[in-house]
Order: sequence, then C-alpha cells, then structure tokens
Amino acid sequence: MKPLTTEQVQGFVRMVELTRDRELDCTECRSLFAESAEKQLAGLPMDEALALVRQHLSLCPECNEEFLALEEILRGSR
Amino acid sequence: MTEADINWPQALRAAENSAAVGGLRGVVLDGLRIALRDRSDVGEAQLEDFAQESLVRVLDRLDQFAGRSKFTTWAHSIAVNTAFTELRRKRYQDVSLDALTADGDQLAEATVMPDHASDGDEERARVVAALRRAIAEKLSPKQRSVIAGELQELPFDQIVELLGSNRNAAYKLAHDARRALKAHLAAEGISSEVVRNAFSV
Repeated sequence: MKPLTTEQVQGFVRMVELTRDRELDCTECRSLFAESAEKQLAGLPMDEALALVRQHLSLCPECNEEFLALEEILRGSR
Repeated sequence: MTEADINWPQALRAAENSAAVGGLRGVVLDGLRIALRDRSDVGEAQLEDFAQESLVRVLDRLDQFAGRSKFTTWAHSIAVNTAFTELRRKRYQDVSLDALTADGDQLAEATVMPDHASDGDEERARVVAALRRAIAEKLSPKQRSVIAGELQELPFDQIVELLGSNRNAAYKLAHDARRALKAHLAAEGISSEVVRNAFSV
C-alpha cells in the first residue's frame, strides 16, 4: 500500500473523531433524504432525523454526493 | 393541473397510468439534467437510460413511499442514487480482494501511515501513533480492509463487492472499526478535545 498523504491521515482522524455510537447506515440515511432535503431547503429547524442524516453525510462521501445532487435538483426546480 | 396537484401514487397505480408514468419520467429526467449538468461525460442518451431505470425502481417501490415528503422529491432521490451508483462504477480501480486484504494488513505500519503525515506536530504524532496501535490490535482483518479501501478512496460499492458483502453490512463493519479506534484513543487518554484541537475537526 502506498504511504498515505497528510490529507488522507487527517481525513481518517477526522472520520474517527466524528464517529458516534448511533449512526444511520446508507440505506437508512437515503430513506430520509427526501424529507431532509425539503426541510433543509425550507430552513426548518434541525430535528433528530436531520441531525443523524447530516452526521452520516459527514462520514460517507457517496451519500453526501447524492444528497447535494438532490438539493441541487430541488433548488433548480423551484 | 400542476405537478404539485397530482396524486402521484394513485395515478401511477391506476389501470390506465400511461400519462402519469410519462409525466413522472419527464420530472425525473429534468431532475437528472440538473444534477448532472456539470458532468461532461454524461450525454442525453445516458440521462434517458438513467431516467428509465429510475422510473422502474420508483414503480417497484411505490409501497415504500410514506408521504413524508413530496412524491417527486422522493422519486428524485431514487433517480440520483440510480445514476450516481452507475457513474461510480466507472471509477472502479483494478483492485483484488487479496490486494485489499494486504493493504489492510499494512495499514498499521509507519511506512503506510507515517509520522511525517502529522506535520511534525507532537500532539498529532501521538494521535497517529495511537491509531496505528489500535489498527493493529483492535481491528479484525476485514475491518482493516474496509478502512484501507476507504482511505484509498475506492468507491464504497467496490469495497462491498470485493468483500462479497452488502452495503449496510460493510458500513457496519467500518462503523464498528471507527468506534473501536475512537474508544482506543480515549483509553490511551487522548480526548476528543485533544483530537479536535490537533486536527482542527
């Protein structure tokens, strides 16, 4: 394995630090995408579900990529 | 009637649903055009394919729509997942399970996770050294493989395939690994505050 870069090590430490005992898995997170994106766009206060979604997004680049795309669609569709 | 006025689940379940199916296909396609407008590698034909595949999935999962959002937002979320999952496949690298396992075995070595990565900062070096010990002592070979794959930015779907697992089981493997590493840092007296200060989390 190639040596990790400074950025990779820092990203890894960040992931470990942001880890919580209770996290959504990818399927659970994606099942909350639609309502979370709508709430976020409407500026509604963050509830527990949205907080869990955001926590998962901070650790999962692929779900984050999809959530940002969904937000982009909703903004573009308004 | 506007898109917002349509009772999509009802219209799509109707015996004569061709207008609703066609309408939803247009909605999904428009959404994908927005989501992928910066992707020069995605042409109109592929967008149409994604929209068609998404439509099939939406119709298959109609019973899962719980009404907690607009129906079209829910359909867009399925379309985005369909398209991005397929596009990520193009980023797959030529990695075997044996190579990923070997990478996991090397993860705790200083040559792979070197001290210079901590920029000479003493506190950072202490955290990195503790993580190396924890990787070696607290993680299973599969957990090390998942972490090694993530660190090398392999698409998670590829890691899942290499491990012969499913996405949620692999995510749990990674989550349990991160929890074990975090617990080890705490056991070594490295608090969250120390980590956050040292790495600007």
